[in-house]
Order: sequence, then structure tokens, then C-alpha cells
Amino acid sequence: MTSKADREAVLTELYKSMFPVVAKYVAKMGGSFDDAKDVFHDALVIYYEKVVAGGLSVANDKAYITGIAKHLWYKKFNQAIGTKSMDDMNFDIADEPAEHPSSNKILHHLQTAGKRCMDLLSAFYYDKLSMKEAAGKFGYAGERSVTVQKYKCLEKVRETVKEQSLEYADFIE
Amino acid sequence: MRTSLNNIKLTDDHVNGLLPTGDALVFEARLILNPALQDEVILHKQTLALVQQYGRDMLRKDIESIHTQLFSQPQHRSFKDSILRFFKH
Repeated sequence: MTSKADREAVLTELYKSMFPVVAKYVAKMGGSFDDAKDVFHDALVIYYEKVVAGGLSVANDKAYITGIAKHLWYKKFNQAIGTKSMDDMNFDIADEPAEHPSSNKILHHLQTAGKRCMDLLSAFYYDKLSMKEAAGKFGYAGERSVTVQKYKCLEKVRETVKEQSLEYADFIE
Repeated sequence: MRTSLNNIKLTDDHVNGLLPTGDALVFEARLILNPALQDEVILHKQTLALVQQYGRDMLRKDIESIHTQLFSQPQHRSFKDSILRFFKH
């Protein structure tokens, strides 16, 4: 899933084949269309992060997505009726950074002021592209120049985070 | 690369656990002795956390736009109908 078009094609295919399974299940369990959409989107995010981290073989991806979605639905449903989840298998989505008002403000600033650097850095750190793949995606001559650009971007973004976190004092923990 | 970039690489490798044993030990010793370096490591971790959050936000946007396409474009009409049928109680 190294290019945007490639990723979109894979996700669209998964959407078409897997959303009906998840929606049918959630509906049967008394959930709404929006419930089904929410758990399915979360399941796709978890699946994607597992795949790019190299922790999943593609052979069982569909069973995996259905499994996560069912689990997420159980959690959501049990929270709604105020009981504890029966089994607390922890999925990575639990690691989602707590909604931090200041981090959202800083993120918003970075999205507008430093989008190109954020795109490049998230390609490395989130999408786990190799230097070679990133060089191709962002139009750099080679691995060396994209490597240098990665550290320049880290320098720039770090500087912004530092300035912004001085503005939003509660960001510093 | 210029020195400041090499230092960032060093911090990045430390944070991601990529330093070879010898370099890792040297870095940890410097960390104990140098509060400014400790601050730098914290800043670096905050930066990487924001980059992760950004990447995840972009993915969510892509998924949302696929959803919108599948539920609004006429060529996906039968897909849409088959899903909505589940929710007609």
C-alpha cells in the first residue's frame, strides 16, 4: 500500500467485500447503521496499522477484520449498557492518543503550516514506507536526498511543536 | 548531513531503539548528564506522537471518502441498498 491510489484501491475492495458482513452482524445485534460504520472504520484503521507493521499475512485479512469489528461492537455495546467488557483483549486502537485539546491545536497548525513535511514524516513513521518507496512517492532523486529531507522535516516540525507548546502550556506533561 | 541533522538522527534512533549497543550506552550516559538532551528526547517523542496522529487522521479521511463514494455514486446503488436493507426493522 505504498501509493495513495494503491491504498485507496485496497481499502475500497475491503469496504465492498467486508462492510456487508460487519453491517449485517451489527444490525442483527441491534446496532444502527452509524454504529456499523464506526466499528468498521475503526477495524480498518487497526487492520491497516497491523499490515504496515508487517504483523499480518494477507491470507487471513478478512477474518481478521470481521473479528476486530465484532470485538469493537461488543465493547461499544457493553459500554452503552454500562457493563464491563467480557473479555478485554486489547487492540492497538486503545493506544490512540487521548484527545488532547492542545495537541489538536498543534496538529491543526502543522496541517496548514507544514503539510508537506507532515506528509513525508507520516509516510515514514505511520505508513512505514522504506526510504526507496518514499523517494519515489515524493519525487526525490534517491534514498540519500529523501533521508536528508526526513531529518530536515523532523527539525522543522520539532521546532514548530516547541514554539506551539510554549503557547499551549498544558501540552507539556 | 550537517551536525544538527546528525544529532536529530541520533535522537530519533535512540527513541526508536535503533542504536547499536555501544552507541546506545553512550547516548544513555549523555542523557543522565545533560538535561537539555532529556528535553530534546521528550520533544522528539511528542513530535513523533503528533506525526502518528496525523497519519491516522489522514487514513480516517481516506476511509470516510471511500464511504461517501460508495453511498452516493449511482454505480454503487445496489451495494448501498443491500446494506441499508439490514437496518430496516
